[in-house]
Amino acid sequence: MSDALIDIIKREGRRPSERFERSKLHASVYAACLSVQAPQGEAQRLADMICDIVAAWCATKPEVTSADLRRMAARHLEAFQPEAAYLYKHHKLVL
Amino acid sequence: MNTLDAFIIIGVAALIHASFQLGVSVLTLLGSHTIGKNRSHAKLLRLTGSYLIGTAVMTMLLVSMVSLTLLNFFPTGDVSPLIWAITCGLLIGLGVAVWAFYYRREQGTSLWLPRGLASYLAERTKATHLSGEAFGLGLSSVIAELLFIVGPILLASLALVQLPPVWQLVGVAGYTFISLLSLLIVAGLIGSGHKLSQIQKWREDNKYFLQFVGGGGLMVLGLYVYVQQVVAAMTATGIQ
Repeated sequence: MSDALIDIIKREGRRPSERFERSKLHASVYAACLSVQAPQGEAQRLADMICDIVAAWCATKPEVTSADLRRMAARHLEAFQPEAAYLYKHHKLVL
Repeated sequence: MNTLDAFIIIGVAALIHASFQLGVSVLTLLGSHTIGKNRSHAKLLRLTGSYLIGTAVMTMLLVSMVSLTLLNFFPTGDVSPLIWAITCGLLIGLGVAVWAFYYRREQGTSLWLPRGLASYLAERTKATHLSGEAFGLGLSSVIAELLFIVGPILLASLALVQLPPVWQLVGVAGYTFISLLSLLIVAGLIGSGHKLSQIQKWREDNKYFLQFVGGGGLMVLGLYVYVQQVVAAMTATGIQ
């Protein structure tokens, strides 16, 4: 699926908006899965699946915040890989 | 102060130092980024090892520097009760500060750090892919926590200057090792394949306990040293 033409509002508007990039979302979900020792194949499959779900959700909206994207991805990831979802949700709250 | 008393104070101060969590947070993040980027296990071990060496070197340098400075002021190790009293006040104040604001009141294990510094450390951790960078990260994480570790380091240094020179070296090495225990345990868990999510979950579930232990430990140690060094000296000289 190609990148949708949706603006992502970063950090409540404190940073310039960006176009939605599927590859960035994919890389972050993939890394979260690998961080909990998920096999590469499973990490790849989950990242593809989550990206599809989030991209479909984004397609119905003109703009979304980066926090919304993260929340949506984490919520769906939780159903398949709860530990990866936990790390994905909390990685900005470690420090 | 006899040698045993000095070592007990150094050991307890180092344990309190070990209860502070900034270094563990940075190490957890470093492990997460390294594993998440699918780097080899050998690379993970090299990076965590270099990070540990960096924190050890900076801790050793700080303790040595403070001890050397104190030795210049008190060459015979005869520290005045006023200095002990100031140090005890600092420890008790830090203990209250740890209880009040060590962790932010939100999910996760976010610390008191200014958000700019936290973002900087997070970015540096993410960008770390060479052993030298991990070593530098270890050095800087100790500096970043200086506000809280200054108390235990100062007290340990005051105890160190009471010791004969050979025991001072043992004391510096002992303080460094004990203060690194929490990092060594987490590095061991990461290196042996434990899931980072479990480590982080444990830290989050127990963060208020760690905060209580760290703050309480500072206060108890401050009061103990106050009684042992200040009250005892005042009693001995007849000052009430």
